[in-house]
Amino acid sequence: MRSMSPLQNVHIKGFYGDYENKDVKNLIKVGEVKDLLIFQIVKYKKSNIKLEDIKIDNLNLSDKPHRVVFSNETRILWIGPNNWLLTSKNKKLITNIYHLFNDKDFAITDLSHSRAIIELEGEDAKEVLKKGCPYNFNELNESKCVNSIFNGITITIDMIHDSPKKIRLFSLRSFGESLHHSITDACLEFGYKNI
Amino acid sequence: MLYIFCPHCGLRSQNEFSYGGDATVKRPALNKEVSDEQWNNFVYNRKSPRGKHVELWQHISGCRQWIKVQRDTVTHEIFKTVEANKEI
Repeated sequence: MRSMSPLQNVHIKGFYGDYENKDVKNLIKVGEVKDLLIFQIVKYKKSNIKLEDIKIDNLNLSDKPHRVVFSNETRILWIGPNNWLLTSKNKKLITNIYHLFNDKDFAITDLSHSRAIIELEGEDAKEVLKKGCPYNFNELNESKCVNSIFNGITITIDMIHDSPKKIRLFSLRSFGESLHHSITDACLEFGYKNI
Repeated sequence: MLYIFCPHCGLRSQNEFSYGGDATVKRPALNKEVSDEQWNNFVYNRKSPRGKHVELWQHISGCRQWIKVQRDTVTHEIFKTVEANKEI
């Protein structure tokens, strides 16, 4: 069976908005991230396991709020107390994850096909998000993540790079198209390139 | 816009939260006889105080944790927020 990307019907490559007479390098780039392994990891309250003892792709689970620990292929986002979102391009991690996290201490859920992921790249990426999200983006630095809303849609924001600004947005798959419309609407005044 | 301090995430907009009711209501003790009046009070009857009130809120679009919020029902000023398993 062929898998369909959540934004297949709306994400069409090209230039949009106020892009004329502007340097292409300075335009916001909007991309869809596909084929990412996404796991929610929840540690049970009664669990006595130490987080330092667990390593996935040489990364520890961090209990610091909004912290992202990352390697070349894998990022682990803090999304709540004892709650993490693991994203990775390395599909081989699946077997490791089920082996590492025993079901007495952790609840593991595969969310790989239930999220739409949009990546924004460009100096105005934060300005776009400010239009629909009440979060104070001055506090969002590199390798920090935050859960918030964008025009009423619950999203997870992962700040991948500060310079150039690169931000990854996760939403429920069913909200993907709406989020894409909202984000691209907010991008129009800057001019953007769907990649 | 109302801002609520989440003990886990920091200062956030009220839009990210969902109201969860009066935090002062206590469930009748388990395995004990409960009168209809006690059960009615627990399930339905609520006071509508003017002034400071302790409420439950959930940071539904954030860390998804329940918190207790002490709020003035007249001015909407928020005095204190704590995790749901702690007392204000």
